[in-house]
Amino acid sequence: MYKGNEGQWAFFLHRLSGIAILLYLILHTVSISSVLLGESAYGAIHEIYKLLIFRLGLIAVAGAVAYHSFNGLRIVIMDFTGWGVKYQRQLWYASLFFAGIVIVAALAYNIPRILGGE
Amino acid sequence: MQATFKIQRYNPEKDKKPYWAEYTLEVDAKDRILDILHKIKWEMDGSLSFRRSCAHGICGSDAMMINGKNRLACKVLMMDLGTTTVTVEAIRGLPVEKDLIVDMKPFFDSYEAVMPYFIGDAVPPATEYIQSHAEEKIIDASTKCILCACCTTSCPIFWVNGQYLGPAAIVQAHRFIFDSRDRAGAQRLEILNQTTGVWRCRTAYNCTEACPRDIPITEIIGQVKRALMYGTA
Repeated sequence: MYKGNEGQWAFFLHRLSGIAILLYLILHTVSISSVLLGESAYGAIHEIYKLLIFRLGLIAVAGAVAYHSFNGLRIVIMDFTGWGVKYQRQLWYASLFFAGIVIVAALAYNIPRILGGE
Repeated sequence: MQATFKIQRYNPEKDKKPYWAEYTLEVDAKDRILDILHKIKWEMDGSLSFRRSCAHGICGSDAMMINGKNRLACKVLMMDLGTTTVTVEAIRGLPVEKDLIVDMKPFFDSYEAVMPYFIGDAVPPATEYIQSHAEEKIIDASTKCILCACCTTSCPIFWVNGQYLGPAAIVQAHRFIFDSRDRAGAQRLEILNQTTGVWRCRTAYNCTEACPRDIPITEIIGQVKRALMYGTA
């Protein structure tokens, strides 16, 4: 394992969250398009998403979207300004902080719903 | 004190795949890693292979991955590592020829691709080219590169895509693109604007942290990106 610092992990997480979002989008598009097969097919597929793993996965996707967005802004700042690279470390911690807020909000919203069997 | 050196070894003529060899020996906190590698080679196992030339951080021959980071073996002291267990591997992304020696050809091919030489006026001035201190300051950092490949072989993009010219070649291109006396900046920018050029950089920052000459490489790559975007160079 190469012992890179923040920049390397920011890059790695960016890729990982990007792949997660892509997979989610594909799944989302495929399941929505199942309506073409009729209401019962659509309903049957969407019933699966009530499983715990998918509900927890949705929180993970929210986290991935948040991280990818905030770190994406960090990358934009680095590429478009002369000062961004100097503060890449601080900017990364800021991205993690804001992504963390989104994850906490997603947990606060979803966990009671999951526990309540909604 | 006693130290354990775990060195990744590989002889393509004998070994199917690389393996770790361990050497335990007496070292001094002020020993350079290169000194210890010499001691291993000269006193313990003559078959160990690595490159080194000047041994003073100028020639850039002894880049290797020491405790998970690319560094020059001649610029790292035992005490800098803060441990007595040291792992040494060949730099990544280039084919290993033997033990710590890699084939540097792909690296130098990328270097050549950016035309790393001065291209002045068709008719040179009668006297020398004049450059102000302020103009020199812009390229000061990028002139310090010793082509050791610590940066390029620390780049995660380069590991998976050897077509990427890599940080070292971009630093060398920057040295001429932003040189007030040079006239071929536009050509070099065009080369770096290809899919194998600066846009492959994903700002993982490993290069900057690996550079033994403290060149702010990611910043330099950023300057080239902006020169392309804004047409300023």
